[in-house]
Amino acid sequence: MDAKTQKYDRQLRLWGNNGQAALESAHILLVNASAVGCEILKNMVLPGIGQFTVVDAGQVTLDDIGSNFFLDAESLGKSRAERAYELLGELNDDVQGHWASKDILSILAEEPNYLSKFSVVIVSNVSQATARKLAYLCSKDTTFVWVKTVGLVGQVRIAIPEHVIVESHPDNVADLRIDSPFLELASYATSFNFDTEDTMEFGHIPYVAILLKYMEEWKQTHGGKIPSTYAEKNQLKANIRAGMRSPDDENFDEAINSVLRSCQATVVPSSIKELFKDEKCENLTTDSSTFWIILRAVRDFVEDSGKSSGFLPLSGTIPDMKAQTDSYVTLQSIYKGKAKQDVEDVTKNVNSILERLGRAAESITSQEIESFCKFSAFLKVICYRSLEDEYQHPKTKQIASWLADPESVFPYYVILRASDAFFEQEGRYPGEGPSDGTVWEEEDVPKLHSLVAGLLQSWGLERDAVPRDLTYEICRYGNGAIHNIASFMGGVVSQEIIKLITHQYIPMDNTFVFDGARSVSAVFSL
Amino acid sequence: MVDAQSTLTLDDSQRWAGVYKLLDRSSLIHPEFEPVDQIKEFIKEAKILVIGAGGLGCEILKNLALSGFCNIHVIDMDTIDVSNLNRQFLFRRADVGKPKAVTAAAFINKRVQGVTVTPHYCKIQDKDEDFYQEFALVICGLDSIEARRWMNATLFGMFDPENPDTMKPLIDGGTEGFKGQARVILPGNTSCYECSMDMLSKPTGFPLCTIANTPRLPEHCIEWASVLEWPNKHGERKMDTDDPKDIQWLYETALARAKQYNIQGVTYSLTQGVVKNIIPAIASTNAIIAASCCNEALKLASTSAKYLNNYMMYSGNDSVYTYTFEHQRKDDCPVCGNAVSKMEFRGDKTLEEFMDFLKEKPDAQLKKPSFAIAGKPLYLQAPKSLEEALRPNLLKPLKDLVSSGDQITVTDSTLPFSLQVEITLV
Ligand SMILES: [Zn+2]
Repeated sequence: MDAKTQKYDRQLRLWGNNGQAALESAHILLVNASAVGCEILKNMVLPGIGQFTVVDAGQVTLDDIGSNFFLDAESLGKSRAERAYELLGELNDDVQGHWASKDILSILAEEPNYLSKFSVVIVSNVSQATARKLAYLCSKDTTFVWVKTVGLVGQVRIAIPEHVIVESHPDNVADLRIDSPFLELASYATSFNFDTEDTMEFGHIPYVAILLKYMEEWKQTHGGKIPSTYAEKNQLKANIRAGMRSPDDENFDEAINSVLRSCQATVVPSSIKELFKDEKCENLTTDSSTFWIILRAVRDFVEDSGKSSGFLPLSGTIPDMKAQTDSYVTLQSIYKGKAKQDVEDVTKNVNSILERLGRAAESITSQEIESFCKFSAFLKVICYRSLEDEYQHPKTKQIASWLADPESVFPYYVILRASDAFFEQEGRYPGEGPSDGTVWEEEDVPKLHSLVAGLLQSWGLERDAVPRDLTYEICRYGNGAIHNIASFMGGVVSQEIIKLITHQYIPMDNTFVFDGARSVSAVFSL
Repeated sequence: MVDAQSTLTLDDSQRWAGVYKLLDRSSLIHPEFEPVDQIKEFIKEAKILVIGAGGLGCEILKNLALSGFCNIHVIDMDTIDVSNLNRQFLFRRADVGKPKAVTAAAFINKRVQGVTVTPHYCKIQDKDEDFYQEFALVICGLDSIEARRWMNATLFGMFDPENPDTMKPLIDGGTEGFKGQARVILPGNTSCYECSMDMLSKPTGFPLCTIANTPRLPEHCIEWASVLEWPNKHGERKMDTDDPKDIQWLYETALARAKQYNIQGVTYSLTQGVVKNIIPAIASTNAIIAASCCNEALKLASTSAKYLNNYMMYSGNDSVYTYTFEHQRKDDCPVCGNAVSKMEFRGDKTLEEFMDFLKEKPDAQLKKPSFAIAGKPLYLQAPKSLEEALRPNLLKPLKDLVSSGDQITVTDSTLPFSLQVEITLV
């Protein structure tokens, strides 16, 4: 095992070499070296992203070193960007770091396309206006992340126009086709002797063969239909149980236990049918991404029922089951063989699409097609709402229902929005300033709460839909950075970024709010 | 040694501005909180114990230091391995082979001024109750079930309801891949670690007959190589799963068997994963769970907000999901419960079969159990002479050794408590 595999062993078991390669080609921009921003980068530098850049015009203060592990006493008065770059960079020799002690807006004034070289842009400690501007400037290939921590509350918003996932890592990808076995599978099932005298042989008939036999018998006595109601499925279970010879026939137990899951009609899931109907699948162009091209090829395959029987490509994976080695390996190769055949058919479709689009056949690898076919029942496309849509076309009905739940953390989203408005008016955040004294309580709380009421009213909601105690709590926090919350949010955000960069697992859509006072959280699609 | 750095004094109220706002200001959602200056002093002076300086431990030490805790101790018996570097950020390549506790403590002491982390390079079992008695709070960031059971039982054993100073809150964190949990355990008040043993997934193991006769998966071949073939070929020499040579041998042996049976998928990495029981681990999940633990520690120590009651689960595979709930005490918990645990078992089964049952039972998971009734031993793992004398009992049917209603005392050298089982023979 090489040195890199050794170092990354524990994470490669989660996202494999593909995921790692994606991380290594990513370049992440951090706007402002806040505590939470540096915590996010820490969790990205450690697993080995390609590059990171820290942009921050400020100098290190006492407040910084009390909340940010990557700024120390030696850093006081020095460039925050440079020190964060140095202390984060030493975490991993394989990662290349950069820094600029400048304001992001002045960089953009000189270089309007600056953001386009980054895979992810993370902003924190910026005004609402700046965040919206940066979100707007991110291209369709750059993920925008805006994270806030205020006292014990944390919030993150993610936006990218389109995110596609092939390897969503579902718990179970097995697609056994018990209801409609393909030819090789059907003849495999009949190769077992259910009348054998040999108890060892009988006890090792793979449960898939048992299911196929009893399902076939069911269909013959039910006009070709498979059991659909709960009662019918129980009857099928009873039929199988009646075939058992001894309570030790674990293979029959396995068959009975998988009736509910495996004896369903094989169909194309509705979520995938929706994708088939998507305009991007319908009308491919020379700019179409790999995902949509292979998806179209899969759709063409499904529509060619002579080849597919109208089903998605077979995953080719089977679970372990009580069986003799030979019969298990044979069964495995039957499923794998069919899966391979399906991949070949899809590949032909991909190639003819590429030819039609005037693109090279090699532009999509066989590995990509294979993996796409294997997980074709679990594909996912997330189209994040833009920040502009969130602000200009608020989902007021949804918001009303979230606010109606007294346990919800949603009020903090509203109060943090109002805090941004407070900042625009006052040039400081509510509750900022010395921690003693009463100004925050007497002046800031009512001011902030009236901004909360105004925001609610602008959405057509009751002005008092957010409890004043929570507004008070945000003022109490006084925009203070508490390291535990920065670190918690740093963990959550980096995890989401890893999922987005690797296109594996499913990221949240689109806003996560954490209340550290109650240790509860929720995701809202705003 | 006096250097420029140690003479530099930092203004606490500026440096800890974020935390101090929380401590100086009252709250309407938690009106019980009274902001008094003694709280800040308490945070600075309270002795906090961190168990484990690994993935969670590194994060916990950093978080405590930046929460204003200045007197921290850490115990860890491990040394640094290359595969730790993808998340244990207090260590560098040059540190490989050094004790984790010592290296982590030195790093924090240098990075965060005014904080003293004291390392203990040893096992938790090497320390006695007097040692644990000194701490205000214990935070566990371990991957070993055994060590957590020990720590949990020890802190509960120290608790005297008449003496509040003996109540040591235990905050426990654990992770696996994109998932994890944080919980607060208060002796005399909440459920304990032992109460939740049944929430753990069953230890994975394959039936011996599958490994020996009908292998189907690459894992079966690897288990065959390590469980059956290793003792055959190496006799008394124990396998060292940290030695690449031993892993290589297992890999080649498993691969040969897989070829013979036409089984695909045996790799070096899978071999290592199976024999070392490797759990995927990444920086981000550790950060989330450790931060939750330390957030609770700060809330508990400062009373500035309600602490977690008592369990938070986190899952990041599909979106971001947390679930916070009150985990219930088990009446028959051998550590914190009063009731005797009741079990039914077939009287014609042997004591050995009963022993195997307890080894696999998720909420028991015993390694080497010994059995006694009313002080009279049925079977003992040690000393050797007694073990040999009592061994014939293992093969006797249970009904020849005990009667329904008997209380069997089960002990295990890895656990600092005993299990009382009221048996009903069926
Ligand atoms: Zn308990």
